[in-house]
Amino acid sequence: MIVGKQKPIAEIKEIISPYKKVLVLGCGTCVKTCFAGGEDEVATLSSALRLSCKKEGKDIYIEELTVERQCEDEFIREAAIAISKNSAVLSLACGAGVQAIARRFGDVPVLPGVNTTFIGVLEKQGLFTEECLGCGDCKLAAFGGICPVTRCAKKLQNGPCGGSQNGICEVNPDTECAWQQIITRLGNLGQLDNLKKYNPPKDWRPSHAGGPRKLVREDHFI
Amino acid sequence: MKKKLKPKITVFHCINAINNCESLPIPYKDTFKLKSVKMACSSMVKDAFLLRAFEAGSDAVIVFVCPEGQCRYVEGNIRAKNRVNWVKNLLDEIEIGGRRLSIHNIANGDTEAAVRIIRQVLADINELGPNPARH
Ligand code: SF4
Ligand code: SF4
Repeated sequence: MIVGKQKPIAEIKEIISPYKKVLVLGCGTCVKTCFAGGEDEVATLSSALRLSCKKEGKDIYIEELTVERQCEDEFIREAAIAISKNSAVLSLACGAGVQAIARRFGDVPVLPGVNTTFIGVLEKQGLFTEECLGCGDCKLAAFGGICPVTRCAKKLQNGPCGGSQNGICEVNPDTECAWQQIITRLGNLGQLDNLKKYNPPKDWRPSHAGGPRKLVREDHFI
Repeated sequence: MKKKLKPKITVFHCINAINNCESLPIPYKDTFKLKSVKMACSSMVKDAFLLRAFEAGSDAVIVFVCPEGQCRYVEGNIRAKNRVNWVKNLLDEIEIGGRRLSIHNIANGDTEAAVRIIRQVLADINELGPNPARH
């Protein structure tokens, strides 16, 4: 899923400051799971913004709404009436959601309330970790299902750098060495021979380095 | 001259800690307003509910929960504590003041402790002044 973090209230206040009527629009999928932009976060942020503005004597009207997904037109449509009643939208979705709303509603400013951070997993309640950079050419089969592109600080493709100690990355003591994990996992799978195969330098063209990507499925065109 | 507002406190309480906050024997009851919100478990308290209490004009918000290790639903009071701490930070961030929100562990039916805490919070409001978002 996409993991994001709500922006600091001061920054949000700054970006909504030109507007008197703001719709705080949540997304009930990825950002809800990481506590950045679901129904609860919409309610909490809206309340905090109202309190803060009231304290400063600023006049603001804040409406709250959460749709199931902001990146799909079918769900976005549900927000049309609420959007038409407000002078700006503060979207708590990921950057894709913000842009999808902006694309559909051309005449209303759509502002980001969340910093979209990474593609990751919920490792345990309250802890999210980055697992995939969306490189466009997945090689997890060679690495026992652990991604060195994302989880090795140096993105090494052919074994560890030699700097890790006790399984901890030399770049960041908070991070486990991805290559230590890959080797342990390949050992458990009986696939240590994978390490003898040479992995050529990564071709970054299918990644974002080649500009924005598109996925076309003509069989689904209508 | 602006009329002095009566201090207003909202108490969210788990019914297993204190069953009824409205009937607590607090002295000078007519000098302040107390609103109580009963919960079947303190884990029902949400960030937005606490903030809404301030939006509704509370000068302070108190959460009464069971002692740690004694929650009937295992960890409800721990969840409540974490949420209260989160909202305290948020209240500091928006300069309403995290000190206006507090959480207290209360043994089942210990009304004396509840009264003592409410009186202390009233004294704190006296020092802090009214909720700055209450006009
Ligand atoms: S808009 Fe973003 S956060 Fe919401 S469902 Fe789509 S990808 Fe996930
Ligand atoms: S190899 Fe590429 S697609 Fe696969 S997990 Fe790593 S970054 Fe993601």
